[in-house]
Amino acid sequence: MKSRQEIYDIVRKSLVELFELEAPSVVPEARFNDDLEIDSIDAVDLVDHLSRIFEKRVSPRDFRSVHTVQDLIDCIDRLQTQAP
Amino acid sequence: MMRLPGRLHAQVSDFFGSLSESPAVKRRDQYWLRLPATGLCFLFFGVFTFVLGMLVLPLIRLLSLDHHRGRRMARAVVGGGLRFFVEFMRGVGVLRYEFIGREKLGRPGQIIVANHPTLIDAVFLVGFAPLSGCIVKAGHLRNVITRGAVIAAGYIPNAPTEDMIYAAEAALNAGETLLMFPEGTRTVPGQPLNMQRGAANVAVRAARMVTPVFITCDPPTLSKNLPWYRIPPRRPKFTLRVGDDIDLAAYRGSPVPIASRRLHADLEALFSGVTLVRD
Repeated sequence: MKSRQEIYDIVRKSLVELFELEAPSVVPEARFNDDLEIDSIDAVDLVDHLSRIFEKRVSPRDFRSVHTVQDLIDCIDRLQTQAP
Repeated sequence: MMRLPGRLHAQVSDFFGSLSESPAVKRRDQYWLRLPATGLCFLFFGVFTFVLGMLVLPLIRLLSLDHHRGRRMARAVVGGGLRFFVEFMRGVGVLRYEFIGREKLGRPGQIIVANHPTLIDAVFLVGFAPLSGCIVKAGHLRNVITRGAVIAAGYIPNAPTEDMIYAAEAALNAGETLLMFPEGTRTVPGQPLNMQRGAANVAVRAARMVTPVFITCDPPTLSKNLPWYRIPPRRPKFTLRVGDDIDLAAYRGSPVPIASRRLHADLEALFSGVTLVRD
């Protein structure tokens, strides 16, 4: 189990590494589509990357309702409390 | 006279209009034979594909013992049918073609990427690399004529994105050849090339090599937004040239999103010169 702050740090680090984003642009309210220019193909890469880090098999389907960085953190937090 | 619905009526009058209008360029190469022959080809393709998809391919699926062999056989039948169709079109005189380097197609783990100037590009490529898998427009799965063939041959619909990527990745890892049109749909003449990043993404994830195929058609025909009876003044010549493999090792040092963006940009640059070659 990771705290929300830890999740936030991992998400932020991943976005910077995978998409060469500037760290300050990754704020909780940043929108993936509009602010970060992350599309549905990127989303698959991001989900693959995060599921390796969190050692949990997830599907991009679980992230359908994710629009912002905050949504993603909430979603991961929810998923990690579920049984594997 | 029977009243026709609006859209069909417009098409019919456009059809007869196209017959009587005087062309800017002189009509050559037996134009008045090529016109009905083109119609015949459309009809032939529709009927043939429908019968194949509704009857022949389901039968193969039913009779083949394992799923894998059934799919292989279905692909062989679809590929053979399309190859025959290519020769049929040439035989009735609606086109000429030249396919350069086809022996480079069909290797395990290979992604074939091609530009998409005309309606029948896939007919050529599947006809000449028959056992390949293929990423197809999701609409082909809903279209009653193509649906049966798409399902039996195990072609991968291009949507939703994640399903397409995972299915394509699995196919390449299993050693299949995969055919993709990165533009997703036919090039709109006069518009800049607009490729989707899916092909580059799948390539970086799982392909052993990317092989480009450059398709040109001179004079242009069967392009987007053009009805079948608007045939070119001369008999069109299709040229399909298989290019050199793109070495993926050069891209694989970085994370997939970065690598696929770089490959995507390189593919776009590689192809944007080709589609501009027109009369």
